[in-house]
Amino acid sequence: MQAVYDAIVVGGGHNGLVAATYLARAGRRVLVLEKRSVVGGAVTTEEGRPGFRFPTASVCGLLRREIVQDLQLARHGLSFIPFDPSVAVLGEDGRALRLWRDVGNAQTEIAAFSAADGAAYSRFRSFMIRIASVLDPILLRIPPSIESPSLGDELFLFRRALRLRRLGKEDMLQTLRIPFMSVRDVLGEWFETELLKASLALDALFGVFRGPWSPYTAYGLIHRYLPEASGGAWSFIRGGGAGLSNALAAAAREAGVTVRTGAEARRIESPDGQVTGVQLATGETIPARAVLSNVDPKRTFLSLIDPLDLGADFLTRIRNYSSEGCVSKVDLALDAPPRVPALEDLGSPPPHFQIAPSLEYIERAYDDAKHGNLSKSPTLDVFVPSVVDPTLAPPGRHVMSVLVQYTPYHLRKGTWEDRREGLGEQVLGMLERYVPNLRSAVAAVDVLTPADLEARYGLTGGHIYHGEMTLNQQYVLRPVPGWGRYRTPIVGLYLCGSGSHPGGGITGAPGYNAARAVLEDWPRIAASA
Amino acid sequence: MRSGSSWDAIVIGGGHNGLVTAAYLARAGKRVLVLERRGIVGGATITEEHYPGFKFTVLSYVSSMLRPEVIRELNLPAFGFKVIPQECNFIPGLDGRYLFYRGDEEDTHNAVLKFSKRDAEALPRFDALMARMCKFIQPMLNMTPPDITSLNPNELRKLLKLAAPLRELTEEEVCEFARLMTMSAADYLDEWFELDLLKAGLAASGVIGTFLGPRSPGTAYVLLHHSFGELDGAYRSWGYVRGGTGAVAQAMADSARSFGAQIRVNAEVRQILVRNGRAIGVELMGGEKLHARVIASNADPKRTFLQMLEPSSLPESFVRSVRNFNIEGSSGKVNLAMSDAPDFKVLPGHGPHLTGDVTIGPSVDYIEKAYEDAKYGDFSHRPYIDMCMPSFLDPTMAPPGKHIMSNFVQYAPYHLKNGTWPERREEFGDTVVDTLEEHIPKIRDIILYRMVVTPWDIEQEYGLTGGNIFHGELAPYQLLFFRPAPGWAKYRTPIKGLYLCGSGAHPGGGIMGAPGRNAAREILRDWARLRV
Repeated sequence: MQAVYDAIVVGGGHNGLVAATYLARAGRRVLVLEKRSVVGGAVTTEEGRPGFRFPTASVCGLLRREIVQDLQLARHGLSFIPFDPSVAVLGEDGRALRLWRDVGNAQTEIAAFSAADGAAYSRFRSFMIRIASVLDPILLRIPPSIESPSLGDELFLFRRALRLRRLGKEDMLQTLRIPFMSVRDVLGEWFETELLKASLALDALFGVFRGPWSPYTAYGLIHRYLPEASGGAWSFIRGGGAGLSNALAAAAREAGVTVRTGAEARRIESPDGQVTGVQLATGETIPARAVLSNVDPKRTFLSLIDPLDLGADFLTRIRNYSSEGCVSKVDLALDAPPRVPALEDLGSPPPHFQIAPSLEYIERAYDDAKHGNLSKSPTLDVFVPSVVDPTLAPPGRHVMSVLVQYTPYHLRKGTWEDRREGLGEQVLGMLERYVPNLRSAVAAVDVLTPADLEARYGLTGGHIYHGEMTLNQQYVLRPVPGWGRYRTPIVGLYLCGSGSHPGGGITGAPGYNAARAVLEDWPRIAASA
Repeated sequence: MRSGSSWDAIVIGGGHNGLVTAAYLARAGKRVLVLERRGIVGGATITEEHYPGFKFTVLSYVSSMLRPEVIRELNLPAFGFKVIPQECNFIPGLDGRYLFYRGDEEDTHNAVLKFSKRDAEALPRFDALMARMCKFIQPMLNMTPPDITSLNPNELRKLLKLAAPLRELTEEEVCEFARLMTMSAADYLDEWFELDLLKAGLAASGVIGTFLGPRSPGTAYVLLHHSFGELDGAYRSWGYVRGGTGAVAQAMADSARSFGAQIRVNAEVRQILVRNGRAIGVELMGGEKLHARVIASNADPKRTFLQMLEPSSLPESFVRSVRNFNIEGSSGKVNLAMSDAPDFKVLPGHGPHLTGDVTIGPSVDYIEKAYEDAKYGDFSHRPYIDMCMPSFLDPTMAPPGKHIMSNFVQYAPYHLKNGTWPERREEFGDTVVDTLEEHIPKIRDIILYRMVVTPWDIEQEYGLTGGNIFHGELAPYQLLFFRPAPGWAKYRTPIKGLYLCGSGAHPGGGIMGAPGRNAAREILRDWARLRV
């Protein structure tokens, strides 16, 4: 049968759209299949209550500038809204520490807690940014083959090593230690103020099922400073996640991509280990030479592919791929601006605040979850984007999204169905201590547990990054050893989502790199079809 | 100018590594003096009679990691060093089940088969993989870590040599090694096994001596570290040293003396004497000054640099690194003299299960919970215990029919949130005995004497800062190029003529002798340049 499409992208998340667009720009005929009625996957905006629009992905800072430029996303409606202070962390004693974007201001604020920390902060920040800028180019590149790296890969890695060396002997050695360390170890070497440490730790651990005591978590601190390494900053997307996804879809259509929503893929056809097309839930089969899966690795290989087409070892690896989500989201529609007494002097509600008073507090929250329980005292990362984005709520009203950690997907006791409401109540109760007018302002509460994230967005285990971002599942090891280069054991099948390098966090890089892998292989794909 | 009494080299501290360094230097013809603070040599590698007739391996209690080169080159067997293989493992559960196996593959297979066919089949494959991975690590142990920041062709060549074994592995094996380096013991073992008793037994070896739990990333790698054992070339083989671990130190001391080294006990060093940025000697507590061309410190990095030297004589960034060096101890010892052999609830009687290693830690969660108590500054309410009773195999350790029981207890953090260790020492001992009682109901009836060693005691009595048995946490960010401080991994220090030769240097703790041997090699390499 003659394939109408060169490539089908299963899943219209942001990475799927990026991959599709790059393929179409290279002259391929591309179809995107999206199960839901809107594109964007987990990067979208949900109108939970008429007039209130909740961004699913709260902040964005890692989206590759190369993609923004290549696809002219600004022309397609993408814009970012920075906010200040970038975060305020609230202490149990009523004090608050605000991290202003201006480093001098941040330093002054921190110095009120500890003069030494105030001085250390700007050194720490610039150190992290220096490391991040060494790391940055690795994100937008296909990981090398270990057995037979190409000359280009060897040169690239050698240049990265030289770049690292240029940081100076001491910084280079310090940099090399960091990936092995825990968040607590690194922060302990720099700071003494618990609120500051807790805030930085919360950012580093967001979405990660680890505590600050866990070794190898300090990598997240570098991640936090990646946007700054390329002159960017963590910002809101105007209109929420949909602002990005709609711009990407517009760019895709302009490049000639066909986007079908309401089209759920049931199976990726792969007789004899070679992709031939995709069968929809309706039974319709669409042939194609290549298939890119924007679906997470577990769902791709354990439910879309015939297991007989995969080796037993590979399947074991995929089953062992860890993708247990630990984040829940509580969306609150507010009829009045939330009042935070500790931050009254800001003059308007804080766009972003955190409740996690100390590293020990975070670690204890993790301990509960490690054994399959909800944290007795979870950490709360609270965003009120409507403070700076009036498109999200009616005038005078607000949308507040609370990211709650740790809430394990696998509960030791009970089901998420039974626990959902209790979690919402627990979060409201905690927040009320810091936002006294909260109860009276709340018009609606929507709780998204890891089970809901799985059901609604198809994220296995409810994992927002399509799988843990720990070092054992990064770079050449993502998603599984031997398959870190977007290719899969099925000829013509590629992974293009966050389950491949460099992982989640709205970078667009997996989609970009996967498209490049497909194009590299195209002569072979064209010949075999 | 030197006084006539000056030495070629003075070794501060007569622990096993200090003795190894001294022996190698003396063997090369140098005039060497070892200064030991206590009345006997050995440091933490000692056997002491704390109760008449009973010899306690007070701190370290098994041997397996001692480098074969050291045994051979220092001719230790000629000085009485003899290993008695400790072949079996016994892991009693709390639910009536237990796992007991001897060293050989078939017996292990059968023991595990009773509970899980899957695990029994996986175990030999797991063991083979660990052995292969170990082969990658072992060459590193005898190597001075190269300078990773240097573009000097010599250093780059060494760096390539370090990576050379990796090139022999397949892509799959390289990836597996990377996973082993980054995963937790629990996660890694979950991929292989289902039997909790087995996983607990293996995971325990991933956390011994560290301040991490089995669910902490990085502990999978320690599974390897404890698989280094090279006794008769057999993998995962541990053994008792005849006469206790103290006999290792005695053999080393005798070997050093045979090469002409002198050893002075009850000679505590107050400070290292520095003139114009180079070490010229030491001053003892009594005020006596001794001069030497080279000073090798077997004391841990914090003690060496922060107590025996003026911080002003060291670069600021180096002092900062040493201050940041993580050296918080996490374990204690409870040594018991017993009137009889213990009767385990799950396996009564005096069988071979008493002759090997006994793991009190029936599940991964049990060990993890023990860690959680310690994380926040308390000792574990129900600790993980690595027990052994060497008197069953070595009759020199206790009077006939009587026994010693060495209990290595984790976790016991050096920093307690409430109270002090001297105040809580006996409470800690009681907790340990309570925990033992769950498995040995009548243990209280047979205890003749109890010696409780807390991290504080380890620091006070044996001089290990923070009570850390490895002279600093064995975490990857403190190993290889980073041990003890980034950029100072070559046994040299910012003070010319001062060297580190203890476990605070690469490749770290355990009775390996590798730091001592490597340090001696570097000192001899520098010798020509050290002439004054």
